[in-house]
Amino acid sequence: MNAANIAEIIAFALSAFIAVAGALGMATTMSMFRSGIFLMASFMGVAGLFVLLSADLLGLLQIMMYIGGMLVMILFMVLFMQDPGGAMMADMPDMMTPVGKIFSLGLKQNDPTGTGPEEEGEGRDGDDDNMGDMDMSDMAMVTPAYRWAVWAALLTAGGLVALLLLRPAWPLASGALDPRSAERIGSLLMDKYMVGFEGAGFLILIGIVGAVFMARTGRHGAKADRDSRSAIEDTPPEIEADPLTPLAGDIGQTGPGGAA
Amino acid sequence: MSDYAPVALVAVLAVGLGLLALALRAGPVRRIEAPSAWAQFRFGYPIYALIFLAFDMEMIFMYPWAVVFAAIGLTAFIDMLVFIAILSAGIAYAWGMGGLEWE
Amino acid sequence: MGVAEEIGFVLLALLGGALLTAGLERLLGTAERGPARPLAVARATALPNADRWLLPAGPISGLAGVLFGTVVIPFGPTLIGRDLGIGVFYFIVVIDFVVLGVALNGWGASTSDAVESCYRIVAQLVSYIVPLGLAYVGAIMMARSLVTTTIVDAQSGLWFIVLQPLGFALYLVTGLMQSYRAPFLEAFSDRIGGGVLGVVGGGPALVWRVTLSGLLFLVAAMGAILFLGGWSGPFLPPPVWMALKTYGLMALMLSLGHLVRPLSTAEMLALSWKILTPAGLVNVLIVGILILLHIGPA
Repeated sequence: MNAANIAEIIAFALSAFIAVAGALGMATTMSMFRSGIFLMASFMGVAGLFVLLSADLLGLLQIMMYIGGMLVMILFMVLFMQDPGGAMMADMPDMMTPVGKIFSLGLKQNDPTGTGPEEEGEGRDGDDDNMGDMDMSDMAMVTPAYRWAVWAALLTAGGLVALLLLRPAWPLASGALDPRSAERIGSLLMDKYMVGFEGAGFLILIGIVGAVFMARTGRHGAKADRDSRSAIEDTPPEIEADPLTPLAGDIGQTGPGGAA
Repeated sequence: MSDYAPVALVAVLAVGLGLLALALRAGPVRRIEAPSAWAQFRFGYPIYALIFLAFDMEMIFMYPWAVVFAAIGLTAFIDMLVFIAILSAGIAYAWGMGGLEWE
Repeated sequence: MGVAEEIGFVLLALLGGALLTAGLERLLGTAERGPARPLAVARATALPNADRWLLPAGPISGLAGVLFGTVVIPFGPTLIGRDLGIGVFYFIVVIDFVVLGVALNGWGASTSDAVESCYRIVAQLVSYIVPLGLAYVGAIMMARSLVTTTIVDAQSGLWFIVLQPLGFALYLVTGLMQSYRAPFLEAFSDRIGGGVLGVVGGGPALVWRVTLSGLLFLVAAMGAILFLGGWSGPFLPPPVWMALKTYGLMALMLSLGHLVRPLSTAEMLALSWKILTPAGLVNVLIVGILILLHIGPA
């Protein structure tokens, strides 16, 4: 048991833990944004496992896909959902599962309406159970199928672990791990997986055409009452040539006011 | 694979330095009063984002192809030409249908 | 170098590079109200509505991104953190951690300006990553490898800027996009009070200062490696050549960026998908034809 073996075991344990904990967090947290981030973290754990198997190109590809793709997907979730940050759910701890409470720590918003500490809003505390005119179908992080899902997951996990332990013999890989992953993958793409390569191109084309077609003007589902702070009318401010910006006079304002 | 030992340790270093920086309490604290902004705004680039996802998948194929291209030669060039043509058709469609617009 | 020395080298290279970058921006007078703006390092910031887990994760992710990136930048034939087999691809992937960091910090801060900054930074990611990747692909094709030192060695005859001028021009524009300098300032613009940089203070502000300067340094260093022949040069020692080329390219990028008026997010997205991405695809085809005609390194 030399240092390299110990380091490998620690790296494997850490990657596996991140992969599983990230997946658990994704499934149980009350904040949609955090859910996306946990999925990203879980796949970084998987990327670590790929790197340990010497498939470093695949591992880094995972990271690239998941940072880019998940940030975009998270933004779409935020666009369409009522409570993407989980602040509203954090005020209702009875609706969370115990594990969900752990992964939803730190979401409590102290000051959602920005009234400030010195102004006591009357009746804010008594308003807890009244959800106002919010559409109940937007309670997207709570589902009645939760118990079934948990039991299905536990049974599947138990089955997989049993297969792992009871399988008679694990054949060891006979070849040495090839460190030149980029050349190997490139050559495979060019001869053995050529059809898959071009087929993937076709699938991507279908995806683009579908997305553009579905999102023609007048059909997007974003709530019309939301503001848009997009910059299309604005021309950005001209750059002031300011070579001696003094460090003492920093940004002294108390903070941006909220949007109307 | 042991090439990534410094990478892993750099990650630990970054987390350590970051936590250290976060723990630094520096004098007066500036309070920013602002309402929670999590569900307020929309963004104007959903089509761009979807096209970006598609092209991100394309870039996966470009990197390994670029490494072996010179060794394989004309066949690889034709293959990538077809691939780029397919994806350019996608961009042209999106452009023509008015998808490359800010909403 | 042993692993501990490699990590020390990476840290020193990043801090030194970031410091010199800040100095260069101050010298050129381009330290405007963008990512190079002065930050309130002396005062911490308290945000009442913050997401307590995501908000601290932002600066950590940003710092991790630039530290990871410095690992594959060679300052000499053997003066590198670790010469990974997928060097350039690794680099372009880990710089995304900086984007993730700003997005986490912006969302976590939960003020309207910070959340808007989060949206704009993802818009910038959507804009730069495909054309930047296509510029890299041109250099990778000629060097036949993703390893950074091999790319530098492949330019021992002729620098790639001569063979791939379109790729170099693409790299200039998308490099500015990647490092949030003019004319692509919208993510940290004054209109939204500096975005994420307006709501940080104390320790996180210092981390962002280092990260954003380090990001420009890394972008310029990778440009020097891909197109200007890295550390190669006649009389001076290799690290000096690398520094000269890096800061020369950085000065060029900053000056050219300031000649153009700042672009709004909509204009940046349109520029990227209507002009830069088709140009990038054309560049790949041109470089392919050059290689088939046996022009370029053997």
